[in-house]
Formats: sequence, C-alpha cells, structure tokens
Amino acid sequence: MSAPDGRELRIVGFLCNWCSYGGADTAGVGRFVQPTDLRIVRVPCSGRIDPLFIVRALISGADGVLVSGCHPRDCHYAAGNYYARRRLEMLKQFLPVTGIDPARFEYTWVSASEGQRWQHVVTTFTSRIHDLGPAPRMTGGNGYAELADIERAVQAGQGCPCHLKEVRS
Amino acid sequence: MSRQFISHDKMTAWLDALSRDRAVLVPMDDCGTVTFRPYVPGRKALLDKMPVRAPKEGVFPQTETLLRFKYDKDPENLDRVKVQVREVLPTQKAVVVGGRPCGARGQLILDRVYNCDTMRDPYYVSRRENTLYVTVACTSAESTCFCHSVGSGPDDSEGSDVLLVPVEGGYVAEGVTERGRELLAEGDFESASQARMDEAGAVISRTRGQLGEAHDYSDAPRKLLERFDDMDFWNEQAAICISCGACTYLCPTCYCFNMTDEQSGLQGKRLRTWDTCMSFEFTLEGSGHNPRPTKAHRLRNRMGHKFAYYPELHEGLIACCGCGRCIKSCPVSLDIRAVVQAAQNHNAVPEEAEEKADA
Amino acid sequence: MSVLQELKEQIRAALPELDMVLGWEQGFDALHMRPLFIRTEKDLERLVLNPLCVHSLATYLPGLLRGAGNDKKVGLVVKGCDSRAVIQLVQEKLIPRDRVVMFGFGCNGIVSLQKLEAGAQGCSGIGSVEFAGDKVVLSAPDTKVELPFAEIRSGKCETCRYHNAIDADHFAGARVEEGAVPAKHPTLEEFEKLPLSERFAFWQEQMRRCVRCYACRNTCPMCVCRDHCIATSRNPHWLTQESSTAENFMFQMIHVMHLTGRCVECGECERACPLDIPLMLLRRSMNGVVRELFAYESGTDPDATPPLLTYQVEEETINERGW
Repeated sequence: MSAPDGRELRIVGFLCNWCSYGGADTAGVGRFVQPTDLRIVRVPCSGRIDPLFIVRALISGADGVLVSGCHPRDCHYAAGNYYARRRLEMLKQFLPVTGIDPARFEYTWVSASEGQRWQHVVTTFTSRIHDLGPAPRMTGGNGYAELADIERAVQAGQGCPCHLKEVRS
Repeated sequence: MSRQFISHDKMTAWLDALSRDRAVLVPMDDCGTVTFRPYVPGRKALLDKMPVRAPKEGVFPQTETLLRFKYDKDPENLDRVKVQVREVLPTQKAVVVGGRPCGARGQLILDRVYNCDTMRDPYYVSRRENTLYVTVACTSAESTCFCHSVGSGPDDSEGSDVLLVPVEGGYVAEGVTERGRELLAEGDFESASQARMDEAGAVISRTRGQLGEAHDYSDAPRKLLERFDDMDFWNEQAAICISCGACTYLCPTCYCFNMTDEQSGLQGKRLRTWDTCMSFEFTLEGSGHNPRPTKAHRLRNRMGHKFAYYPELHEGLIACCGCGRCIKSCPVSLDIRAVVQAAQNHNAVPEEAEEKADA
Repeated sequence: MSVLQELKEQIRAALPELDMVLGWEQGFDALHMRPLFIRTEKDLERLVLNPLCVHSLATYLPGLLRGAGNDKKVGLVVKGCDSRAVIQLVQEKLIPRDRVVMFGFGCNGIVSLQKLEAGAQGCSGIGSVEFAGDKVVLSAPDTKVELPFAEIRSGKCETCRYHNAIDADHFAGARVEEGAVPAKHPTLEEFEKLPLSERFAFWQEQMRRCVRCYACRNTCPMCVCRDHCIATSRNPHWLTQESSTAENFMFQMIHVMHLTGRCVECGECERACPLDIPLMLLRRSMNGVVRELFAYESGTDPDATPPLLTYQVEEETINERGW
C-alpha cells in the first residue's frame, strides 16, 4: 500500500543481509503494513556501504535514502558497522554544504527479529520524505544545454536564471 | 575595400535581432570568469574579453547525443529483442559572436578532419552549416599569445564569417563570407569612414607590435620527428606535467572524442564527448596494453600531433592557433612553445641553444 | 645571507645523496613560476623562492617513489601546506619517510593570480614583480602598480596555521610566527548562512561551468590512484561521459569522499581549476566535520591513524541511538 497521499516517491534502502534484511523479512512474514516507496538493495554488511552509494542515489534522482545495519556491538562480521557508523555520520554532517537536505538520508540499526521496528522505521522515514516532497534535481549543462534551462525558467516565470552571489576564497 | 561600422548600442540591438531565431553564443560573465554562454536580450555580452573556453563549442560541443536507442522485448518470444534507434541530428541555427581570430582558426583545423573527401561527419557538418562565426579582432596581446607564429594574426579572418575590429565607439566590420554579409544586413550598420578604417588599421598594428617577433616553426615537424625515440628528451619535457587535460579541453583546435553508450534499463543514448590524449585511458587497449603508457609518451604525441603529424598531412597547416590557453590554464605552467623550441634547438651547441630559446 | 641563498646551500650539500630535489624556477612570464627538477649545480642556479611559487611539489612524490625495487631518494622544497601533504602521504604509507628530504622555510603566504589580475586592472604586459615587505610592485612598460600584499594573497592563507614546514629536515631562514586565525574560513562562514535551496542552486550553477578536465584531481597531492581513478573507469561505472551538472557534481562528491580525513587544505584544486570554481568550500566543510567528529587534523602527525580506518566501540561524538 502506498503512502497516504497516493504518490509514490523513490526511496532507496541499503540493508545489511544479516540483521536488517532479516528484520525486513520478519516484518513481511508478520504481514506488517508499510508504504511501498522503499526499494531495497541488499549488501552483506553495513560496512560494505560506500558513502558514494548514497550520494549517487541522491544525485541520480532518489528522493530519500535509508541505510540499516546490525546494532553496534552486534555486527555479524564483528566490526563492520563500527566503520559504517563513522562513515555514515560523516556523510550526514557533510550533506548540508552541498545543498542536499540531510533529512533525506537516514541510517539506523534494525536487528533480524525487530519486524515491528522495521515497520516503524520505514513508515516514519517515508512520511518524512513525503513531507519534504520530491528532491530537487541538478539539470542541464553548458553551451546549448543552457538554452533549454533558460527557456524552462523563463516559461516558469522566473526570468533569466543568472548566477547567484559569488563565493570564492 | 569598403567596410561597415556599428556603434555599441546598435551592436546590442543586432544581437537581440540575431537571437530571435538563432542561438547566439557570446562571451559572458560566468561567476567571475568569461565563457561562451547563450545570449538572450537583457544579458550582457563582454566582447572585449577572451573566454576561457574555445569557440569550437558552437560546432563541436563537449557532450553530444548521437542517437537514442530502446530495446523492446517480444512477449511471445523473450529471446527476440527489437531495438529502436533514433538519430539526433543537430539542426539548430547558431551564431558565435566574440571569438578571437585564434579561436576561429580552430574551424579550419576541424574542417579538414571532419569534412573532407574521405570523411564526412554528419553531426559536425550539420552544425557547421548552421553556425556562423562573428570574430572580434584583438586590441592587445598577452604574454601567452603567439598566433602570429603559427600562421594567424590579430586580424586573421580565416574561419570567420564576419570580422569586427574594435574602434572608438563601436566596431569596423568586414563581411568575410557571403553569409557573413547577409548577417550584417540584419543589423544597423553604416558605411565606415576612411578615418574609422585607418583607426582599425592602427589598432591592429599596435597589437602586432605587442606580439613581437614571430618565431619560425617551419622546421618543427622534422625536428620533432628526430626526437621521436629520444625518451630522455620527452621525460625531461614532461617531468612537470600532471596529465590532467585542462590544455586539451580548452584548446580551440583539439578535436579528439570518445563514443560511449550510456544505458539505463532498456533505453539509452550514444554520446560523443571530448576526450583527452593526456589521459592514460586514451590509448588503453582492451588487452591491457597501452602504446602510450607514460606522460612522456603522451606529451610527445600532443606536441607531435600539433606541430608535426597534422602539418605533414595538411599542407603545412599547424594544428595550433597560438591562443595560449593551454599555457595560461596549465596548473604547472608547462609551455608548448618551450617544448617545441627545445626540440628545434636540440643538437645545437648548448650556449647557442640558450640564445635561440625565446618566449 | 638571503633565505634563497641559505636554501641553495642546504640543497647543494644534500644533492650528492639525492636523485633530485624539486623546487621552482621562473616560468613563461613575470607572474608565473613553474616546478623545477634539480639534479645538477646548473639546475640549482635556476631555483627561485617567492610568493609566486604556488605549486605543491608533493604531488610528484608518489609517482617518483613508488614501484618495486625503486630506491630513489627525493628532496623537495615545501611551504607549510606542502609539508602537511607529505606528512599525510607518509602516514598512509604511500611514500617512505626515509626516502624524502624536506627543505622548509617560513612562508608568509602566496599570491592569488586571480586577485592580482583584478588588482592590476589596466596594467598590461607586466614585466616584473617585486615583493617589498608588505607591498607588491608590478612594473609594465608604461605603468607601475603598487598593491598591498594582503589584498592579493591567496584566500587559503587566511586560515593557515602552519606557516613553517612541519618535520622539515632542513630549514632556511627564520621561522614565521603563527598568528591567530579564524577557526572557520570566512567564505565557508558566509556560505553556511545560505538556506539549503540556495546552496543547491549555487552548486548547480558552478557545476554547469565545470569542464571535467580533472585538473583539480591531478594537482591534488593526495590523489594517488591516477590512471585508475574510478571517475574515469567503465567498470565500475560511477560516472557517465556526459558533462552534465549532475555528473560533474558527482565527480566532486567522489573526490571529496575519497579525501575524507586526508585533505590537507593545500588549495591546489581550487588554484588549478581553469574556471575558478570554489571547490575548497566542499573540502573545508568536510575537514570541519572530520575535526568535530574525530578530533583529527590531517597531515600533522606521521604516526596517527586516519579516522576512517579505525573506530571506537563507544563513539563519544556520534549519537547512535538517534531515532
């Protein structure tokens, strides 16, 4: 069942195979109702996750990205999620300088038996993304490609999109 | 020889008129630098500044979609896949206003490669036929300018449809080609007085003076080929190079490209994008072998191509326009003039070599 | 004895044991120096030392020192920022400390050619540049322009805390006193006042200008993958060939992510960019995150462990129970 307002946005989930994917399975087995916007990519461990996966997803058009792994101290591979925790926290704090809303990326820890928690995580995150709306996309390029951008902006009543205040050291 | 004249504000009106049914690319402020950007009424054209990027973008854009394709699976027989292909031929009319003579020279070099007896690139030819060049002559020369040493000059009109020489209050205009003259008819040009034409001549003379003496590169092809196997020479010349590619992407005469299929799901497009011979992947073969494995090999190729191989194939035309962008934008200030001259001076007695080497 | 003369003496004494020493020499005009590879006394005569010596020579080290059986010993002249790059490369075991000899000196800042050209409007054909105390005199055939050095100094020098090379094997001249500097770079401070949507629009604009020439990547002393960079590989296929804003921005993300905990803020990326894109905004922000989360400063301690290569079971700075 899709989200309350009927639209489905594109949310990508990176789940570790042992805990979180198992948790999602448990939620499925228990027939817990969740919005269907989230599409899962299974990885062996949250430590496998390169922060660039999340950035690539966001830049390519994902409206939200959710990462889930085993609880710290419970990683199937002992220390994978410790590394993940550092990388993902770093990414979350770095995103604001790019202009991408850090609320569109979330990471959490869900174990294999926590079906209900998984349902809660997905429902809450999806509803947060719906509140934020579709993510802004980077468009266009140089030369002739810029013409299309100008036309689009002019038609949208924004006038010629000339550059913003310069910030340079 | 008659010329026309247009004042600065009538110039703006002319650009407005041109932009009604054509894409007009002009030098424009780009967050502090100057590049070619589309002109729409209200935007300010900076015709006295030479853009960082080259005017070849009008006929040879950095990224070009050649065709789009789509796979259709036959539901009756999943082994059978149909593919639809749609060509994307550029038909937009355009005029590039504000390039310099050195930039226009790029067209001469690209034309011989992309539109000749044995080869006709339909995408390039379509753009070339639909794009006109209004070139602005130079009123000053920089330390990196050497157009006069490679067969061009501050008022060289080859490759342009219209040549504008800046004078007090406006420009003296010459319709170089038939289509250039038609373009002039769309603007409020008046007949240029003798005084104005003299002023234009004086402007060019002054610029020529600033350029100094031209260097003779006529024996460069032979001298570069003599150095071909001398890897010590090339290792020394390439020592400071960091193999980025800034020189190739900003060069008005560079024309190498890459073709890749970018697919997403069952559809995609075939792109042509600029490629740089300074990168390792440029000549990397599927087997893993690379005939140009080091930056020394790649620098040898770049210098050789511009000053030896191309001139040998094309009646002495040097594939370098002397604009100096590669020198200015190189992060380590590697100077193409110094490299070619080092090859020319090689074998001379060391003291003589030092005397001969000039900027 | 001037600092340059002292430096030359030190290099002269060390040269017999070294394969080469990297320094700077006069470039194609008065405003441009270029890297110099010194092997002989004749090469040494060409060495210069002035605020136009902007290049970080550390970027050549991995290429010169790597490979099985390579026992080259290389010296290089380093500004404070350059020495941090060397230390970081040593920390990551990308170059061996015992085969690198650093010649340090006290640096008061380098010139930003962008600012110099802006300040010297109307002065064309500059034939000579003189650095006299806190003034810079530019001479052209028909004009002379005097500018305060502070006005044309590179922005990165505003927050420099390492005027003197760290861990230098030789040091020429007197040490420069480190003054107080703002903790956060003023441009980043200004940028962070913008709302998210404006920041996004800013990068949209800047990435439209990018030519994907990779000058930023290749000048970066920390970028050692060189020919095998994932940005230009087809397998894995991270970036398409399209030079669209989205792909250009993705490249910057790749670069910044791969520099997490490694970037020494030498500013070479921004200097090398032919389009003057303000790349340092992203890198300074990342370094701020690293400093806050892991209390780590890259390029200062050759024995430190990079923060992403280690972990704490209990992280004081990370709220893991979050939501």
